[in-house]
Parts: sequence; structure tokens; C-alpha cells
Amino acid sequence: MQGLIFSIEEFSVYDGPGIRTTVFLKGCPLRCSWCHNPEGQSYNKEIVRSPNGCINCNNCINVADIVDGKTVFTDDGIKNCPMGLLRYSGENISSEQLCEKLLKNQNMLQSGGVTFSGGEPLAQSDFLLDCLTKLKGKIHTAIQTSGYCDTQTFKKVVGMADYFLFDLKLADDRLHRKYTGVSNAVILNNFSFLASSGREFVVRIPLIPTVTDSDENICGIVNLLKQSGVNYVELLPYNQMAGAKYKMLCREYRPDFDERVAVKVPERILRKNNVAFKIL
Amino acid sequence: MTKNIEALVKQLKDQSYKKYRTKTTSEPILYPVDVFGFHIGNNEKKHSLGGNVIPSYKRIISKGFDEIRREIEFSISKATEQSKIEYGKKMLEKMVECIRICDEYREKVKSNSRLYNALQRVPHKSATTFFEACLFMKICIYFLRTANTEHICLGRFDQYMYPYFINDKNRGVSDEELFETLEAFFVSLNYDGDLYPGIQLGDNGQSMVLGGFDECGNSMYNQLTDMCMDASLELNLIDPKINLRVGKNTPKEVYIKATKLTKQGLGFPQYCNDDVVVPGLIKLGYDAKDAVDYGVAACWEYIPSGCGADIPNMSVMNFPLVVNKVITEKLCNCDSFATFMGCVEKAIAKECDRIVESCCDFQHPEQPLLSMFTDGCIETLTDMWRGAKYKNYGCHGTGIANATDALTAVKQCIFDKKTVSVSQLLEALENNFEGFSDLRSSLRNCSKMGNNDEIADDIATQIMACFSKNMNNKPNGNGGIWRAGTGSAMEYILSAAKCPATADGRKAFEPYSSSFSPSLDVKASGLLSIIQSFTKYDMTEIINGGPLTLEIHDSVLKNDIGIEKTAMLVKLFIDMGGHQLQLNSINRERLLDAQKHPEKHPNLIVRVWGWSGYFNELDKEYQNHIIRRCEYLN
Ligand code: SF4
Repeated sequence: MQGLIFSIEEFSVYDGPGIRTTVFLKGCPLRCSWCHNPEGQSYNKEIVRSPNGCINCNNCINVADIVDGKTVFTDDGIKNCPMGLLRYSGENISSEQLCEKLLKNQNMLQSGGVTFSGGEPLAQSDFLLDCLTKLKGKIHTAIQTSGYCDTQTFKKVVGMADYFLFDLKLADDRLHRKYTGVSNAVILNNFSFLASSGREFVVRIPLIPTVTDSDENICGIVNLLKQSGVNYVELLPYNQMAGAKYKMLCREYRPDFDERVAVKVPERILRKNNVAFKIL
Repeated sequence: MTKNIEALVKQLKDQSYKKYRTKTTSEPILYPVDVFGFHIGNNEKKHSLGGNVIPSYKRIISKGFDEIRREIEFSISKATEQSKIEYGKKMLEKMVECIRICDEYREKVKSNSRLYNALQRVPHKSATTFFEACLFMKICIYFLRTANTEHICLGRFDQYMYPYFINDKNRGVSDEELFETLEAFFVSLNYDGDLYPGIQLGDNGQSMVLGGFDECGNSMYNQLTDMCMDASLELNLIDPKINLRVGKNTPKEVYIKATKLTKQGLGFPQYCNDDVVVPGLIKLGYDAKDAVDYGVAACWEYIPSGCGADIPNMSVMNFPLVVNKVITEKLCNCDSFATFMGCVEKAIAKECDRIVESCCDFQHPEQPLLSMFTDGCIETLTDMWRGAKYKNYGCHGTGIANATDALTAVKQCIFDKKTVSVSQLLEALENNFEGFSDLRSSLRNCSKMGNNDEIADDIATQIMACFSKNMNNKPNGNGGIWRAGTGSAMEYILSAAKCPATADGRKAFEPYSSSFSPSLDVKASGLLSIIQSFTKYDMTEIINGGPLTLEIHDSVLKNDIGIEKTAMLVKLFIDMGGHQLQLNSINRERLLDAQKHPEKHPNLIVRVWGWSGYFNELDKEYQNHIIRRCEYLN
């Protein structure tokens, strides 16, 4: 079975226990306002342009297509760039090829394993399940997910993977819709399933200034954690580098919050509720 | 850090001490803020007569100069050969001079009572305390440096200093006091760096080798080892450079502490793998007891402690140049890749012979002082370069990855896929790829060393094996043998500057990768694959030294998780049989260079925010941000 990935990163230190390789699957149903990985959003291959070394000859622009007023690079652009700055993001790969590639480093991944991230890895669930089946018993597998996917599929994946890195962003559904484009109902459903499944997992909260770092939201999330008996979270404070990759796609990064506001680390609330945490 | 150490560091950093040097001073000087003194008073750079050895500090410090002097006198009295008597007199003269200078110095530093009192004992007699031992070291270093030696290494400091350290502890000296003495000694090593005859600031050979295992496999990592690591961590100064000897039984905690040191961004510790180095040296004929007592010369060349006069950077095998020659002269007549590789192997063998031949009557200038510091030379009254127990030569193997990639490209483009013809390749190389950009990109798209790719890695193994076989244990005409290695020293620039365009797509005169690392323009799959590729060959066969160099962004090391995992990665490298590792936390200079020359840093990964990206692929403003972010680290 074929899947679409956009990167394989060896020795990714913050994607689960031990020494790991992370595979990034392309495509995501969410549109988080703070998304730092716009390459991961589209389900299609895209041509991206590395901005450094560009001599502004415009060879790439001259042969680009304009779709809905947006610049889309073409194969000719790749050929014509004298500096070799254009490349495809997104590679079709079969589960056999991918697993073979990952297992080549099996000897080095004993302490950790393989993490599937994205995009949203559950968005290519058939491919993901196929890979998990092939890796079962050979290597530890982890899924880094927003939790957004139909519950049937989610249950299957929970049955196959060894570990989950589960994002909880916003407890309030209205705000969740506003900032990510989707409702959190199915996410919370899946979360409580995961928590009761006995599978190992860790919860991650992206701390976005004025959005997810508000006392209200943190209290909301803490409630969810308590209901599920979770007493440890990992915090990912927003960093102003989030927009770095947008220009590669000729896109503009326009978060609908003020990114210059300092992130509030909710130490007090977490401590008060006996939730241990680590800042990544 | 105590007040005293702070003052020492401050004086070092503001360079105010330099004004006390003059053109005419020939005696050592004491600075206003000082502990051991014995700084070089003469501000002129000396020329170098050679070095790159580890003196027998252990013997000198435990005997004292008076005893050494008596030994020389005794040997002279026994000697019959006139030339030996003459040489003995040179030694004696030098030793008498050293003693005189120390006595005069003692009288000049009366105001510093601690120093004055210690100088009543050392260097005349053996050191008894840790303070005296450090002072004795400082005295040795002073005399060696003013005797025009270079790259005089510190060796296994935590071993030969341990008796004095433990003696103090038994006398009730506190750990705090011992630590302060140690730090004062470390800081003192950073003074006078500008007077060193080396090429670059900091390239002064003040390498210290810590830890390791004894002949029975017992760990030699002791409390002093640990204090050395802590002192280095706290001081954050470039000297001494720490080399850590590790092995499969090194506990994770040691790697974690070492990784914290890596985080400082100074590029050390460098790791040496006892499980590979010791058997490798034994295969080259070193006695087991000397092999387990190995250290490193200036950078990373493995040498014995105190008893050797090896010259580990005697010559260089310029692999890419050899490969290029075979391509231009022989490739058109080869009907298969195997035939072609046969020609490459012959050429490597021939080059080994040429190197051996060209160095067979090398003469080092006499060094009576350094010879007294080399075991066995006083007894025989011989200069170390003839009289030391080990007089082996080393040959660096530079550009291994570039040569491998070039050969792999020939295999894949010319023989397997047949996408490039021999004449096209030759024409492209001759024209430095001008007008051959398509051909160049097909060469660059071939398999590369560092991607855990069997084709490239097998070729690497083949050329290294050929080099080892034809170089190791060949007599060097000086009573020693040759040793093959994986280092490059400056040769990744110098040798590369002699090499025209190569079949890996490298343009003429561009640098090779340094030492044993993937070629510069290779976008490697990642750190795991690199380690796989660079641990496949049996490294005991190529043990002159030369590390795999890996860059890790300091943001990977920003918290315990990253530090622990980096430590685990180093442990994996060692357990997999890697021989030597240099791990760099990426620093600002390198980032700035990457901004100007992105093509040179395709593998530079930066952790941005819960995610990583290639530095090259970030917008300039974001790059600037990262640069700013690590500014405070420097
Ligand atoms: S073709 Fe390449 S160098 Fe020219 S403008 Fe586009 S990216 Fe820049």
C-alpha cells in the first residue's frame, strides 16, 4: 500500500521515549492557526523552495502556475533554478519500502523505536495500519496525533501502536473550531478511549499565547486530564519561529493571535492540581 | 566558582596580563593574580622543533629534577661511547639550567608564600601534594614550551595525578580545596595561548585524556576524572581539551556528564573507544601495558604515554587524488567495476609504498629536554627520536568519504546504469563541471557514504582495508612501523587544494570532509545512518586516529531529555565499534557561515520549536533569530 510522507527524521529527540526515527505523513484535516509545519497540511505533493542562496533571478516564478491567485511552482521551476533550491515535498512510498528503510536502523532503535507524525498520521490510516502491522513485534511504534479521526479507526490504531503522543489544544469546542477549524468532540472521545485502553501515552499541550495558555483553557484541560486519571503533561511553548516554513510554499503566515505576546507557562495551575509537567 | 578562580579567569579574559611580557625577558613570570606562575615572559612566538608526544610526567613528578639529574650523571659515568657522553652532557646542561631558573624564580616570588613554600620542594624533589604536583606540571610545561617543542600533550592527567590527589584527601584536604587547585591549574593552561607556534589559536595540543579501562577491564574513571569534567564544565575555557576514554562498560551517567560538556559548544569531549583502540594498538605491536595507557597527541592521534616518539602525522594518503588518477588513466580500459576497483587497489598500494619510501630518512632535530621526559632515554643517553621504545609513523587517510562517493558514482553511473560514458566523465572533470551541470547532478544523486547504503559502505570498506593492509606494520626505516589512520588534520583543506574536480561531483580544490565524516554536500539521512556507515569497517585496523565528526544543534541539548538521548546515541556509537567521535553542538559562527554558504552545511538541522528543520530551509529572518538565540551561549 502507498502512502505520502514528507520527511523521515532520524534521532528525533522529542517524539517519544528512547532513540527514535520519526516519519512525517503528509496531510492534515486541521488548520491550526499556529501550525509550524505547513508542508504537512496538504494531501498532495507540493514543490517547495528553500529561500537561502536565492539569487532572485525569478526563473522559478516565470514558469510557475497561478492557481486561485496563488503561486504554484512547476517541474520546470525545479529544472530552471540555477541554485537547485526547489524540490518536491512529499514522496509516495509503499509501506514495504518505508518499513524496510526504518528497520535498517533497528539495531540502533532498541531503546526507542519509530514515531509516526505529520501532518496527521491518522489521516492516512490504512497506510498507517499497514505499516504498524509490518513493524509489529520488531520495533516499538508511537503515534503523534491530534486525535482527530473517526473512532473506529482510532480504536484500530490504538490496538496496533505501542505509544501515543496525544495533543490537547483547547478544551472549549467553540474556540477549538475557531483556531483549528474542527470540533474537538471526536478528539475528546478518542482521548477518553485511549486513556481507558491501557495503552501508554503522553499528553502534550501546545502553549499558544493568549489562545491555549489562558487560565481558563488550562483549567479545562486539567479537568479532562483528571477525568482520565492523567497526572503528567508535556508543554510545548510557542516560539516565534512557527512561521519559518511558510515562505517555502509561497504562503504567508498570518496567525490570528498576537505572536509577540510572551507565553504563560501554567505552572501554578498544574502544581495546584498535582499535574507534573515538562517543558519541551 | 570561588573568588580566586573568578579573578584568574577575569585576568585571562581581559588580557591585562599580556602587558607584563617583554621582548627581552627570558625568565618565567608571575602575574598579579596568579597561583602557579611559570608563565612565558617573552612575547615572541617561537619556531617549533616538533613534538606531538605525551611526556612521562608521571616519572618526572614522582622523582624530581635532582633525581633526574643524578640519573643523567650516573649514565654519563657508565657510558663509553663519546657521542653518548656528549649527548648526556647536553641533557645535564639543560637540567642544571632548569633547576637554576626555578631557584631564581623561587626567590622572586617570595611575596606569594604558598608558591614560595611549594617551590622549596618542587621541582628539586618529588611532589607530595596535589598542589605541588600541579605546580610541577606547570614547571614541566613551561620548560617544554620554551624548548621550542609543540603539541606537548597532557596525557592521562587523572591517572598520574591521582596518587597526589588521594594523598591529600587522606590528609584531610577538602574536596573544595582540591577542586580550586584543579581549576586554577586548568585556567593557567589558557594563558599564553597566543605564543604557541601552532597554526590556529587553540591548536596547541593541550589535550587531556581521561578515564578508560585497565588491562583487566577495570574502570579507571575516578574522583579526579569526575572533578576534571566538572572543572571543564564550570570554566568553559578551551584548554585543556578533554578526551574521554570510554568502552562498552562505561555507565550512562558518564556519557550524560560528558554530553553536558558538549552542550557548552566547545567541541569536546572527544570520545575514544578503548574496546577498539587498545586491540588496534596491540595489533600494531604495542605492548598490552602501553596500549592500555594510550593517550592522544594534539588532536586525536593515538599514542602511548611517556615512552613513545611516534610521529603520527608523518604523511597523508590523499584518497580522492589517487582515485582521480585511476579514473583519468585507467577507467577507459576497464570493462567492469571489479577490474576498475582492482586498479584502484593497486594505486593505493603503490601510493603507500611511495609514502613509506619518501619518509625513510626523515630526521627530527635533537631535543635533549623532551628526551629526558621520555622513558628510557636517560639510561641510554639517546635522543628520543632514536631511543624511545616506540618510533612509529602515522599516515592520515584523508578524504575517505569523497573518494568513496566518487567510486560509488563511477559504479552506478558508468557501469550499472550506464547513464554517463567514460569520455563524458573525463571531459566534465577536466572542465570542472563547467557546462556539465546535468552530469554533475547525476553524480551527486548516487549513493553516498553516510547513508547506511551497502553499495557505498562496501566500497569504503574496500579502500580502507586496502590502505590498512598496505600501510600497517611496514617498517619505517627508523626502527618503527607505519600505522594507517582516518584523520585529516588540516589536510581536508590542504590536500583538497591539490585535487581537481572529483567524480563525486566535488569541484576542484573544494575541501574534503574533515577526518572521517560524510562529504560536505551530502544530504545524509540522519545521525543514525551516519553512525551505521562509519562503524562498518573494523576500526582496529585503522587506528592512527581521526574522528567521525557529528554536529548536533545546541537546541537538541537544551533539556535533560535531549542530553540523555544524545548520551545514549554516543553510547550506541561506542557499542557499535566506532573508534572516535567528535560531537559538536552547533554554535553561532557555524550558523553564520551556513547563512553565507548554505551549500557547505546541507545537514545542519536546527530544532526550532517542537520541530526541526534544515537551517538552509529557514528564512533569513528566522535564521537570524536562531543565531541571536545562541548568541548568549558564546
Ligand atoms: S530560480 Fe532559484 S535562484 Fe532563481 S529566483 Fe527561483 S529560487 Fe531563486
